[in-house]
Amino acid sequence: MPDTLDTHVRFGSNSGQPITRRDGRAKVTGGATFAADNSPDSVLHAVYVPATIARGRVTALDTAAAEAHPGVTHVVTPQNRPPLQGDPSDKPTMFSFRFEALQDDTVRYAGQPIALILGETLEAATEGARLLNPRYEIATPRTGLDEAAHYTFDPDAFGKPADTVHGDPEAGHAAAAHSVDVTYETAPQYHNAMETHAVVASWDGDRLSLDMPSQALSMTCAGIAYYFGIPAENVTLRSPYLGGGFGSKAIPTGPYVLAVLAARMTGRPVKMMLTRQQMFGPVGHRGQTRQRLRLGTDAEGRLTVLDHAGLSATSTFDDFIEPAANASQGLYAAGALRSTHSAVRLDVGTPGPMRAPGEASGSAALECAMDEMAETLGMDPLEFRLRNYAETEPGTGKPFSSKALRECYAQGAERFGWADRPLQPGQMRDADGLRVGWGMGTAFFPCPMFMAEANATLRADGTAMVETSAADMGQGAWTALAQIAADSLGLPLDQVEFRAGHSGLPDAGVAGGSGHTATAGSALHAAGGDVIRQLGEIAAADPDSPLHGAGNAGFTARDGRLYVAGDDSRSDAFADILARAGGAEVSGAGSASRAPEAAEAHAMNAHGAVFAEVKVDPDLCQMRVTRLVGAFAAGRIINPRLAESQLYGGMIWGLSFALHEEARHDPARGHIVNADLAGYHVPVNADVHGLDVISVHEDDPYVNALGVKGVGEIGITGTVGAIGNAIWHATGKRVRRFPIRIDDLLGD
Amino acid sequence: MITFRLNGENVTLESAPATRTLLDWLREDRGLTGTKEGCNEGDCGACTVMVTDEHGARALNACILFLPQLDGKAVRTVEGIAGPGGALHPVQSAMVDHHGSQCGFCTPGFIVSMATAHLNGRRDFDDQLAGNLCRCTGYAPIVRAADAAAKHPVPDWMRADIPPGAEAKAEGGGGDSVGDPDYADVPGAWGRRAPEGATGASRAGGGTRAEAWVRPDSVDALAEWYLDHPDATLVAGATDVGLWVTKGLQDLGDVAFLNGIADLQRIDIDDNTVRIGAGVTMDRVRDAMAVLHPDFAELIRRYGSEQVRAAATIGGNIANGSPIGDGPPCLIALDATLHLRRGDARRDIPLEDFFIDYGKQDRAPGEFVEAVSLPRQEDRLRCYKLSKRFDQDISAVCGAFRITLSEGRVAEARIAFGGMAGTPKRARHVEAALTGRAWDADAVAATWDAWAEDFAPMSDMRASSAYRLKAARGMLMRALLEDLGGQTRVLEVTP
Repeated sequence: MPDTLDTHVRFGSNSGQPITRRDGRAKVTGGATFAADNSPDSVLHAVYVPATIARGRVTALDTAAAEAHPGVTHVVTPQNRPPLQGDPSDKPTMFSFRFEALQDDTVRYAGQPIALILGETLEAATEGARLLNPRYEIATPRTGLDEAAHYTFDPDAFGKPADTVHGDPEAGHAAAAHSVDVTYETAPQYHNAMETHAVVASWDGDRLSLDMPSQALSMTCAGIAYYFGIPAENVTLRSPYLGGGFGSKAIPTGPYVLAVLAARMTGRPVKMMLTRQQMFGPVGHRGQTRQRLRLGTDAEGRLTVLDHAGLSATSTFDDFIEPAANASQGLYAAGALRSTHSAVRLDVGTPGPMRAPGEASGSAALECAMDEMAETLGMDPLEFRLRNYAETEPGTGKPFSSKALRECYAQGAERFGWADRPLQPGQMRDADGLRVGWGMGTAFFPCPMFMAEANATLRADGTAMVETSAADMGQGAWTALAQIAADSLGLPLDQVEFRAGHSGLPDAGVAGGSGHTATAGSALHAAGGDVIRQLGEIAAADPDSPLHGAGNAGFTARDGRLYVAGDDSRSDAFADILARAGGAEVSGAGSASRAPEAAEAHAMNAHGAVFAEVKVDPDLCQMRVTRLVGAFAAGRIINPRLAESQLYGGMIWGLSFALHEEARHDPARGHIVNADLAGYHVPVNADVHGLDVISVHEDDPYVNALGVKGVGEIGITGTVGAIGNAIWHATGKRVRRFPIRIDDLLGD
Repeated sequence: MITFRLNGENVTLESAPATRTLLDWLREDRGLTGTKEGCNEGDCGACTVMVTDEHGARALNACILFLPQLDGKAVRTVEGIAGPGGALHPVQSAMVDHHGSQCGFCTPGFIVSMATAHLNGRRDFDDQLAGNLCRCTGYAPIVRAADAAAKHPVPDWMRADIPPGAEAKAEGGGGDSVGDPDYADVPGAWGRRAPEGATGASRAGGGTRAEAWVRPDSVDALAEWYLDHPDATLVAGATDVGLWVTKGLQDLGDVAFLNGIADLQRIDIDDNTVRIGAGVTMDRVRDAMAVLHPDFAELIRRYGSEQVRAAATIGGNIANGSPIGDGPPCLIALDATLHLRRGDARRDIPLEDFFIDYGKQDRAPGEFVEAVSLPRQEDRLRCYKLSKRFDQDISAVCGAFRITLSEGRVAEARIAFGGMAGTPKRARHVEAALTGRAWDADAVAATWDAWAEDFAPMSDMRASSAYRLKAARGMLMRALLEDLGGQTRVLEVTP
């Protein structure tokens, strides 16, 4: 196994250790400050009025009643909204969406802001918003996949996935000895991070200060700055903690812009915190899909074709096409592969990336279709997947940077007891007479890298400070990135001060795509390496150092000392080297991204296998997931404690996708009827039994210098299909729509 | 004026608006921002606080708890869970050690729920924590943390919450003294700007209406006042009325808070009758029913969350007339009598007669529910609650069956449902079809047509009409099978 790690890094002293999170104490004592916890002096509270219809026009607002309410200071409507310097329809950054900021009286989706109230207190602003009492001209809303024309598009921007064809799909269909042709649907889902969107904005001349949760601090600053006609560097954004993000906090949406606008308009700090109901509308969601999967195999069960066509809903005014069919591209060895996407414009807010965009919905349908294919073949579903195991990337033939999926299958199956599974459905009952079913699915997620920069400074006393504008939305950036930085400097963790969550720091890029640890971590790794390189030069040139003249041999750093590579007898303490050099600090910088040639040379993905057991009441159809076992191979694990929890969380998201989450639209007005946590279900603790994660060892010399693949999203993939397949195995009933409802199992 | 203890210190508020929630007061007025708002309607538990009164310490949702409800009680927020000098409570240490906190937004609520369970010696963590939603962890680390903390004794400072009315001399609770974080490079206050002062009354600014409210201390006082204020809103636990305010933005008009009336909070059990005061909270109903009618108790376990059960009252559950409340079907099956009072006049009616139509109950202006009573009886109750999410979800169908037998035949059947009509409703045709028959599968089959005579349920997002009818029939079959000694706890899945 080639080792691309820099020789000075001794991985394992910090990385790889299950260190508890460094922000843990602040969080358990209530001291961790989230955006809405900030209340600057003279702050005004902003509350926007959401449209309660999905399509039409606002015909009247009782602005006088709102303005007359004590404590209400401003009522902002399309009639009096101050201008923005950048058009809300423009896309100033790579990940921009068009948004609603009171441009006109048109209603394009339920939940769209149609007016903004400012008040001295939250209560005054809230009451002012109620008093506006909007009236509408209502047009027939289109919220179902067949309620508007389907269209295709050019894949020219973010949100418009390209179609992919490898081989000859038609020939693959023609050659198939067995085939399935099935269509699955997935529901609209809303991120619903526990922390709703919130912002405190204040202006000082043309400088803007923002406290808001952000998964992409620099890009958010650039985006906001554009709409207000100021340079990005005039925006200071502080986001020390995010109360969950899941993709929804990477992109500033209309409500944020309105709050910033209100602050500029009034010259006072403005705070806006969305209500839970307002989380269903302008702040993104996972768009609903319909996916047709046509699979063919030869007589022995080898796939001749994997043909995946996705239809995704987007809004009437912007494009985010859930790239669901792409989930079929990199996983199974098929003679021919085809992934295509079409779209339909509905009267809904624009969808956006939500934990495992594309892969989650696509994997749900793919893994169920694979199960149906195995059923057709009379083959064990795991055996069927092994028969179609891809040794190289399907279609391109590229080698994988690493792929321990076989081990995932084997270890997961062993832990679960898969070998005892009857092939036919409806064969198992538990002692209480409940139907029992077992299902499985393959987990899969790509390993992107973005761009990141970091600085590291070794101080005269031998301690260090490292900085990058990383975002910790719960995954543990405060801790895992500090572990990487400490290793890159050869220091114990408690000797390293880590700064993050502030836009004034070097750009850490996006906390998304499961690529933040890999990207920001690689930048920190490079910054630390830069410091150690400089320190080595100082020591090698210093006649008083034991390292004098050893520069050609190279150095390793550990426990605050530099060692001559391969010769532990010659070493020097960081602090001593710096002291002899006059007490100077040494600063280094690093950046990270993936070189195009590296991306071209290997296919890079994380893999896993998920096994599910469900129990279904035979008379009442109530379903429960009683066991989930997931085995995942995701390269180097920086902090097993954090990573395991990311995988748990992802699997619970899979359970939630399979059985719970679905926004339901009122057919007459188009609003979401379950826009709260009472009706939009996420699992509660008591719903979740027997959850087991196996971390499968995997060394990856190519994915990046750290060998890190990322674990944030893969847990949801595989799990949805495993549960759907288990329900079939329990009941013999294929439900081709998620979430699976108790009604769906109704039947004789 | 109200007085309560907050993290060990007495707090007196000269003005406590009827609809000011504890959550808003903590965050907006008091500057205690550790308690979070996740939904503002009692679904998520991010705002959980511990409230101690003569019934003990309970976890409650601060977002639907009005300030006047706190008079005479003691409140502990997440800021008051650590001890003097910043010593972490065992649940706090365990949550860090077991990685039970990720993004941390739900964490304060979990900490308070866990600390309350810890104080009360509860180990049924699935239930104790079902009212706290987490979107990150998958819960397993949190339950592990709760398990680990349970091995440690209750810290002294957690026993300091003596309500002001009951105190002789209060020991210092040490609530506000949270020490510096262990990890200096991630301070808790990193990012905080000019927070509100740690103390202080409401800030200036309009918007707070001065509703008139009373908190009577006797049923007689309530009866007299309500007769004079028949349009007033009665607030017991506020798990429903709270949403009228936080979500519906309604004016409540004049308000009477009922939680100061000891007589409404009595459970009296004698040889013939179980009488439950309207103000008895559902957690206490559950405890009482655990002995008398375990199926009802088990149903209540899945009724709302720990926080909701600790606030919601049986009187409120009946009086709000919801067609999908879980209490009334069970009470109707148990032949409950409702005790109503208007001024000095009292009348008793069968509970099922109270529910006239959707949104309409047999209650005159100025009349209120004083109590509900059940005859003591052999436990023949079977309850089934079907919901999309197993725990903490509103029922799609809730069925309650009390089928008594005599020599193998159905002597009497009382069957009532929620979710099958615009009101909680008895299945009288089904009951008639069963009565006198041998209690067997043929009897169940004989009811087939009667179901459609009793019910024409609607289709909504919780379930279709067809499913509801099928499920209701299935429930009767379940009741039979259980009597025959077959499967017993069909909805309990043992992991």
